[in-house]
Amino acid sequence: MTAVRAEGLTKFYGARRGLEDLDLEVERGEVFGYLGPNGAGKTTTIRLLLDLIRPTRGRVRVLGGSPRDPAVRARIGYLPGDLRLEGDERADRYLAFLGEMRGGVSRDRIRELAERLDADLSVRMGRLSRGNRQKIGLIQAFMHDPELVILDEPSNGLDPLVQQEVHALVRQVRAAGGTVLMSSHVLTEVEQVADRVGIVRAGRLVAVEEIAALRERAVRRVELHFDAPVPEDAFRDLPGVRDLKLDGTSLRCTIDGRPDALIKAAARFTVVHLVSADPDLEEIFLTYYGDEEARHHAPADA
Amino acid sequence: MPPLMRKTLRDQWRALLGWTVGVTAYLVAYMSFYPVVREDPGLYDRVAAAKFPGPLRDLMGVGDTLLGAGFLQIMLYQLVGALLFVMFAASLGARAIADPERGGTLELIVTLPISRRRLLLERFGALAVTLLLFAAATLVAMLVLNQVVGLRADAGRIAAAHTGLYLVALFFGTLTLGVGAATGRAAVRYVTAVAAVGAYTVETLGRSVAAIAWLRPLSPFHYYLDPRPLHEGWPWSYLVLVAATAAVLLASTPAFDRRDVGV
Repeated sequence: MTAVRAEGLTKFYGARRGLEDLDLEVERGEVFGYLGPNGAGKTTTIRLLLDLIRPTRGRVRVLGGSPRDPAVRARIGYLPGDLRLEGDERADRYLAFLGEMRGGVSRDRIRELAERLDADLSVRMGRLSRGNRQKIGLIQAFMHDPELVILDEPSNGLDPLVQQEVHALVRQVRAAGGTVLMSSHVLTEVEQVADRVGIVRAGRLVAVEEIAALRERAVRRVELHFDAPVPEDAFRDLPGVRDLKLDGTSLRCTIDGRPDALIKAAARFTVVHLVSADPDLEEIFLTYYGDEEARHHAPADA
Repeated sequence: MPPLMRKTLRDQWRALLGWTVGVTAYLVAYMSFYPVVREDPGLYDRVAAAKFPGPLRDLMGVGDTLLGAGFLQIMLYQLVGALLFVMFAASLGARAIADPERGGTLELIVTLPISRRRLLLERFGALAVTLLLFAAATLVAMLVLNQVVGLRADAGRIAAAHTGLYLVALFFGTLTLGVGAATGRAAVRYVTAVAAVGAYTVETLGRSVAAIAWLRPLSPFHYYLDPRPLHEGWPWSYLVLVAATAAVLLASTPAFDRRDVGV
């Protein structure tokens, strides 16, 4: 079953491109990371999924229905990227209102989430700090146990401890069979929780990959130390090995994909120390996103 | 009452209180002046006549005498009341859709399980109720003061005139709300302000300025001021105001339903 399906989804703001020909499927029960720099079209996609804006072309289905249908939206939890909350009443009263709009949410559920995120609900809305406001936004996105949670840049203004708690909430939704779509321009944020990521660039989806597959394609920096100097010939022209640097007993290089050839070549010598940095999604991302040029032509996130 | 309408009413509570207190204070201040006028009606009639020559008398609503209903007409049921009621209504109308859209708070509301049509209707409901409470409170203040200062105008006719103010204000509030919903521009309040001033001028000056007299039926004020409710009682023409308000609301709904929010 698909939670989100977009076909040829296109949005122009006048002549300005927000998104073009997006084909996207998010399966039920998965956490999907939606990556891209600011202005690439992430927010445009999300706002199309919630029927805030209407597509110029293409189709969008959410939870098997149209997001125009209020009954479909009742099954979605949404955290806007730039959250603004209406009115100046106490936060708990505002949350009670949102709960009522969504057909009733128990006080205990709200209190439980507030404790987990360490949010103060007695503060008036006008006096909420940025972090606290984001927490209120997260509570309302999760409180009605929606089948689909859409989070636009959820880590904005949160400290790392709270971020971990948000990840825990995301995993809980998945464990219960729900779906999460979270956007980010910070890759580490998505890396820890997402099953798959989509990379959007300048209004187009350029890649969709499983996190595990991305890791396999990852660029790795490897450092090997031997007990005696090794001949350079033994390591020259190994498949997948780049930027080779030999310095007496130590070897540094970059590996694309599998490290197999390097390991077999090194096995002939005595290895005393091996350092392999974790594959960095930032670098994978840069191979997709690549040239700086595209950054300048990217449309604004509206 | 549906949750969104209730929440909107709560958010408007402070503005309602402020406007009610302010307008009541104005009424107290000016009504307490009435006994002085009654002492020497001729003097103030002459002052008014000298101050507002010709068409200006129409604009200000200066009648033949400043006694009784004539006093009320100038004090509230003409320019001042129109100004105050329409200003309050337009500010409520702008706060329904256009302001929260510009401020970004509408984004979350629109994604809630409520249709755009329903959202607009509940915002209108809150506008109509808040304005009604404002009109009711100021009417009570007016009726009390009417007795206290010994003006003793007919209570039923005061209620009729007050209702007229309410209906005119509701029309312009709904116009602000509707144009804001259809376009999403916060500047709508200025559009309504210009429309209201224009409509008022057309109706009042149109009585003696032939060049614009034919425009009078287009002005909502025509259906309130022309039948002179303070003197003649309840007019049928109020139904035109009700119908016009409903028409504005109906016309703006499809536009709000179709367009992008918060772009």
